[in-house]
Amino acid sequence: MNAQGSRQIERDAAAWLARRAGDAWTDRDEAAFDAWISASTAHRVAYVRLEAAWTECGRLKALGAGARPGRVPPRVPRTNEPVVEQAPRYAAPRRFRAGWTVAALAVLTLGLTLGWGWRTYFAGEHSTFATAAGEMRTFTLADGTAVTLSSGSVIDVRLTHRERRVDVRRGEAYFSVAHDRRRPFTAAVGARRAVAVGTQFAIRALPDEMRIVVTEGTVRLELQSANPGMPAPSTLLTAGAVATARGNSVLVRPGTVADAERLLSWRSGYLSFHDTPLAAAAAEFNLYGARPLVMGDAAVGQIPIGGNFRWSNSEAFVRLLEDGFGIRVERRADSIVLHSR
Amino acid sequence: MSTTLDGWFAREILVHEQALERYLRRRWPHPEEVHDLRQDTYVRVYEAAGKALPSAPKSFLFATARNLMTDRLRRAKVVPIFTVGEIDDLNVLVEDVSPEREFSGRQALARLAESFDRLPDRCREAVWLRRVEGLAQKAVAEQMGVSEKTVEKHLAKGMRLMAAWYYGGEVAEPASPAHAADDDEDERARQQAD
Repeated sequence: MNAQGSRQIERDAAAWLARRAGDAWTDRDEAAFDAWISASTAHRVAYVRLEAAWTECGRLKALGAGARPGRVPPRVPRTNEPVVEQAPRYAAPRRFRAGWTVAALAVLTLGLTLGWGWRTYFAGEHSTFATAAGEMRTFTLADGTAVTLSSGSVIDVRLTHRERRVDVRRGEAYFSVAHDRRRPFTAAVGARRAVAVGTQFAIRALPDEMRIVVTEGTVRLELQSANPGMPAPSTLLTAGAVATARGNSVLVRPGTVADAERLLSWRSGYLSFHDTPLAAAAAEFNLYGARPLVMGDAAVGQIPIGGNFRWSNSEAFVRLLEDGFGIRVERRADSIVLHSR
Repeated sequence: MSTTLDGWFAREILVHEQALERYLRRRWPHPEEVHDLRQDTYVRVYEAAGKALPSAPKSFLFATARNLMTDRLRRAKVVPIFTVGEIDDLNVLVEDVSPEREFSGRQALARLAESFDRLPDRCREAVWLRRVEGLAQKAVAEQMGVSEKTVEKHLAKGMRLMAAWYYGGEVAEPASPAHAADDDEDERARQQAD
């Protein structure tokens, strides 16, 4: 149908688009372009498609928030290929970065010592997944559950015919749980367990805090029972709810799904703040960055911050604070200290 | 006249590109012709829409793709037997095609950013400086240390790749950073020769 072939037309269209975007576009160019694009609908369609992409590219500005003009923002580290883990039986951690080897070996040893005895009882899978600092991974478990693992996170996954259990050892993981009525899906941080059936939620383990964010469906949060004989107290979390547990107390905050989603914007490479005190915003960055941001005084920590920032680029965030908020920045070898002037 | 039509085309048709390519790829025995089939499908849809906008754009798009394949099979001198066997198959409903991806909001931005990040370095730089920051072409050329012509080449290539990844998604042409580097090297050689 096309004398020229669709790929050639696409290349021509791209060349026209780039020339037209240039500064040296003349009336004669415009006439030549009109002639080309009117010559065939194939030309027009190819051009319209690339121009639409060009228009969309304007939205990339959001990535540059706080970046220095004239500088291309760094790439967001991500593993492009969707990793489908057909995890082997018993701990066989894969793709580990050097730092995790020790932890991996520990798990492996534990798995081997405890594991063999169980083998006859559990025809299950047990595997460990980890991300290094600044890395994010999305993959699918054998049951179809999609997992997005945030930076610096470690989870243990155990799938048996009776249950699906994930232990979040550190960091944060987001689950889009595959529906399976017969096998409840449980994500736990220590003794606190979130039980879900066909739902979407994130669970985060910090040294002194656990957080659950539910974006779809319902999650049942089970807490450690004070008396061993008593049933564990539990709370139902519906979509939009955010539960934060510290020490012995749990705070459940119902909210909109949009607000809950904002807490999980790290999945798209961003941290999203809305009237967030700087101290809290910095704490978020510190989960991802190498050089921690430290509050130099109490007043600076109270400054409300809003906007979207790439979590891989805390440097841009700091520059924005410096330029836009008049915050004095002290760059030390092992930390970045923020002072109100 | 065409700006509304173009807008409609981007909003209602291009957003199904990934699903469309997957559909064509599954039904058509020659993968190397899928690009051309897709393009011809777009041509037919665009021309029809110029007369009257279809009320159900997605169904119309897939029906057009199906008709196009049937027409091509009829015209072909030798009809591959396995394709004939699947002609009835071509009457599948659109619903059998995977759900389209979201083209608004954060998901789309994330995919846009990912497509952008997959560009070869020089392409990425040119697109950023020229398109996103809106620097003058000359300023971009100076900053990148190349001619304006080369900036244009990077932009052209960048847009082809962005469109393929952002709309098409999975069936990407391989990004070849080596080739991007070649563009610059050609240029250096030419400048030295001058």
